[in-house]
Amino acid sequence: MSVADTLTRVRYRYFPDHVVGEVLSKRWADNAIAFVALVVVVSVFAVVNGRMFSIAQLNDLAGQMSEYGLVAIGFSIVMISGGIDLSVGSVFALCTMMVLVAMNVWQQELWLAALETLCVGALCGAINGILIGYFRLRAFLTTLITLISFRSVYDIFIPDVGTRIVLGTPNSAIWEVLGSGSVGGLPYSVLVAAVFALAFHVVLSRTRPGWHLAAVGGSRRSAFNAGINVRSVVFSAYMTSGILCAVAAILYGAQLGSIGNDTGVGLEMLVLTAVVVGGVSLGGGRGSVAKALMGSVTVLVLNNGLQALSIQGSTASMILGFVLLGAVFVDVRWVKNKNKLLNSAYVSPAFLKLPACPETASDSGSPFAVNDALRDVEAIGLGRVEGPEDPLIDRDGNVYSGNRQGDIVRFLAPDFRTMEVYAHTGGSPLGMNFDREGNLVVCIGGMGLYMVTPQREVVKLTDETNRSKFSIIDDSRLRLADDLDIAHDGRIFFSEASYRYSAHDWPVDCLESRGNGRLICYDPRDKSTRTVLANLIFPNGMCCTQDKESLLFAESWACRVNRYWFDGPKRGKVEQVLALPGYPDNINRASDGNYWVALVGMRGPSLDLALTMPAFRKRMTRQVAPANWLFPNINTGCVVKFTDRGEVLGTYWDLGGLNHPMVTSVKEHKGYLYLGGVSNNRLGKWKVPGADPSWTGPDSYWGPRS
Amino acid sequence: MIAALRDRFDAFFGRGRFSTSVPVMDGPLQPNQLLEEAEVVVTRPALDNLASVDGAVLFSSGEDLFRLPRGAAAPAPIWRAPAPIPCVAVDGAGAMAIGVDGVGIDIRGGRHDGRQIRTFVSGPLVCPTAALFVDEDTLIVALGSAEFEAAEWKRDLMSRGRSGSVWRVDLAGGKAELVAGGLAFPYGVARAPGNDILISEAWEHRIVRLGSQPGPHVVLDGLPGYPARLIAASTGGYWLCVFAPRNQLVEFVLKERDFCGRMMADVPPNYWIAPALVSGASFKEPLQGGGVKQMGILKPWAPARSYGLVVELDRDVHPVRSWHSRADGKMHGVSSACEHGGRLIAGAKGPGYALDLGAVQGFVAELA
Repeated sequence: MSVADTLTRVRYRYFPDHVVGEVLSKRWADNAIAFVALVVVVSVFAVVNGRMFSIAQLNDLAGQMSEYGLVAIGFSIVMISGGIDLSVGSVFALCTMMVLVAMNVWQQELWLAALETLCVGALCGAINGILIGYFRLRAFLTTLITLISFRSVYDIFIPDVGTRIVLGTPNSAIWEVLGSGSVGGLPYSVLVAAVFALAFHVVLSRTRPGWHLAAVGGSRRSAFNAGINVRSVVFSAYMTSGILCAVAAILYGAQLGSIGNDTGVGLEMLVLTAVVVGGVSLGGGRGSVAKALMGSVTVLVLNNGLQALSIQGSTASMILGFVLLGAVFVDVRWVKNKNKLLNSAYVSPAFLKLPACPETASDSGSPFAVNDALRDVEAIGLGRVEGPEDPLIDRDGNVYSGNRQGDIVRFLAPDFRTMEVYAHTGGSPLGMNFDREGNLVVCIGGMGLYMVTPQREVVKLTDETNRSKFSIIDDSRLRLADDLDIAHDGRIFFSEASYRYSAHDWPVDCLESRGNGRLICYDPRDKSTRTVLANLIFPNGMCCTQDKESLLFAESWACRVNRYWFDGPKRGKVEQVLALPGYPDNINRASDGNYWVALVGMRGPSLDLALTMPAFRKRMTRQVAPANWLFPNINTGCVVKFTDRGEVLGTYWDLGGLNHPMVTSVKEHKGYLYLGGVSNNRLGKWKVPGADPSWTGPDSYWGPRS
Repeated sequence: MIAALRDRFDAFFGRGRFSTSVPVMDGPLQPNQLLEEAEVVVTRPALDNLASVDGAVLFSSGEDLFRLPRGAAAPAPIWRAPAPIPCVAVDGAGAMAIGVDGVGIDIRGGRHDGRQIRTFVSGPLVCPTAALFVDEDTLIVALGSAEFEAAEWKRDLMSRGRSGSVWRVDLAGGKAELVAGGLAFPYGVARAPGNDILISEAWEHRIVRLGSQPGPHVVLDGLPGYPARLIAASTGGYWLCVFAPRNQLVEFVLKERDFCGRMMADVPPNYWIAPALVSGASFKEPLQGGGVKQMGILKPWAPARSYGLVVELDRDVHPVRSWHSRADGKMHGVSSACEHGGRLIAGAKGPGYALDLGAVQGFVAELA
């Protein structure tokens, strides 16, 4: 390899381009915008008015955060559910009045006062929730009305109650501490608010109610169709908002000790600005506690900073209004373009230089020479099965295969006219094999490793493996489990072709050729799953060799078959066995002790050249529409028979491409070869010249039927 | 400076000048399969340069010139050239101008029988792509490229060649006058009203008019393919053959000079990411995402490197109807056509078929 090539290879192997796309695909990627806004605002004000960030001022800010932050969390919960709660200011005022009346006027214990306040908040929230969740009124108008109503109730009581609050003294020591005490420099109110924030973060991001909330906000109709109780989710969102306003009011009351006519006036606008600046989507379905808090800090710093600069209240409001306008603009454009940006940034090509392509011309005399050997293949299930990736034959001669509707179908011997659904698994059933007990073990793309018992019961064996330390995508999930084979002791070795692509866009992994696949071992004795080999280039077919110590596996885009020793003196070693003129798919045993491999596609010189130029492929994925991308040629395939020493015994093609233009897997049974292809609409059966007419796969693995 | 910034921005996102988008085939160019359904007149490998002479059809196949009289069963070879024939012109009075790739043009029959045009002022006639008899003594010659032969058209496209030229040759006096130079592979010549000529400029996918105004004047732009021969129609309009489609990936590759250079050096031309007269024969050809066969079917609207297209243009050089062979068809690479006995015959050079597209008079009824 030339120096330039080596440099390119090193640059693309060690520089993590794929991180950009993976970060963008994460839910917390949106927080970047809010974070940048926060940093900008803080730095501008630090420069303009450095005194703003002294300890005393920061304490003050922290105190304000504890109230605004909690109200912002409640507000964002309502917004995530697809609604809006304009009455938070009035509810806040009512709750502050309640807690101060309870502490100062009625001289109650803190716990009773807190309970009464929470009830007031819950009641207000429940009124909103019933009107909007159950009576299905419009959120904006309804909460506008409740804003006015609650504020009127407040205005009715304030003349009477206001002076009595100031004149009374509370009877509680904890109340004093809550208001003005601090621990380690942080006021207690901040700690209480932090506990609530953490709790709600966990609920929103990791519990079912939180997911239901985001589902209802994201798409109300789909959430309803999925069985979520939309009305009760919306009701509980408004009630939560009310309760959080109550908690904020308790902390506010403890700090301030009195209320006035304008308590809570304009709070809803401030909180709305904070939440939208933070990145909670106005349309619903997207948002988090972190976003609400970052937005609150940004807006509070902005507000305090403007006040410290002696800018008049109305001017400050105007400035905040412009900030809100800007935030809404960014939100709308981000929601619209995020997927486009993600799609164009996700594909991260790497450098791959393949060895010279073996000759395939029909007159070249090469073992891979093109011929018409598969011309007289018989069709099974023509037009009745779609996408049978891997045929499997049991001892009775029945032929099983997956299809793209997620079924495992079975054609009954001997004429294969009857087709029945053997089991419905979902996903994309790919590689299959029988184990010693006659269970059909299958790799299902998009789901994991599953098993169908002889009683047709579908059992999950494993769908996760150990997570690698530095991967951004959660690669403990199995995204595209492809083929499997079962060792003599029952251990199941299977390949995960790529953790970045799935069953419907797997050829795009060729444009990357990055080494996104791994070999995984599931041990049914202790039900453990462990990644055995990593960074493989689309590992695909797997086949245990006759010596019970090693297995052959294919690396599709690298056009080679390797041998991995999992037992014995050479344990852990990997050696290349065969270099091919195309992309190997499934590998299975042949009756004479050798192996069959299907080539799902053939190498082409233009793509081989493009694989050595990753920047070219990156620009292509950015500038050209996906339907026009250069693809591996998976329209043509063939079948190769080889020994475990790498000697090619024969290659079989369907030159006309009429019957089996592409082949992903072949299995031998009693002298015939059964062919399947993941883009075909049939299975094939072909008589192998000179094959043992009594050989079957299950007998070869497990011995004759007991 | 602003322009440079805007260029970088556009290049990053693939917009504006760096856009790879291709015009959609719509309106009069809405796809159909009429070329696939047409009746086959005759078939020879690399059938090209159709012309109608004295009630017989003339065409070239590689180095041979064939003549198929009306009602005859098989065509008869009438001449063999030392190299493949890239263009043929007839003047209707017995004279023929036959191009020889890499060599020049030979005149056979008529007043100037035996004349050989080998060089112009600019250099040898390496790539004669079209010729037109204005009258018995005047021949318009189009040279596609000054560097590559006509058989190497793909190399000229991928090198973004602009060395084509159009000449007016006075056969009596022997002088050749340059009408326009610096053209991107002129491939078709037809007479326009007045003393003007229409040229199809292939790599710029447009038709330009040369003559009264100084410099080429664009009359039809934004074609969804690379135009080949222009033939004057008896109805007053023109027939335009389009020999290959424009493809978003090819447009992208043309902008990537590095990749182009390496591809032209290392990869055989049949397997380039470039348009072709026929595709799908070998699995070594490049495949695009939309071209993957599902359930054994290739979608007709799949992105393709070859296509069959004949367009009828009216007097004002606007398309009025078209005949297509889509991505899953066979009749691709239509590079020539002629009117013979009141019917339109088109030659698909890719598979080597001459197709009967129907009677010519019938079209007049649709035009006002």
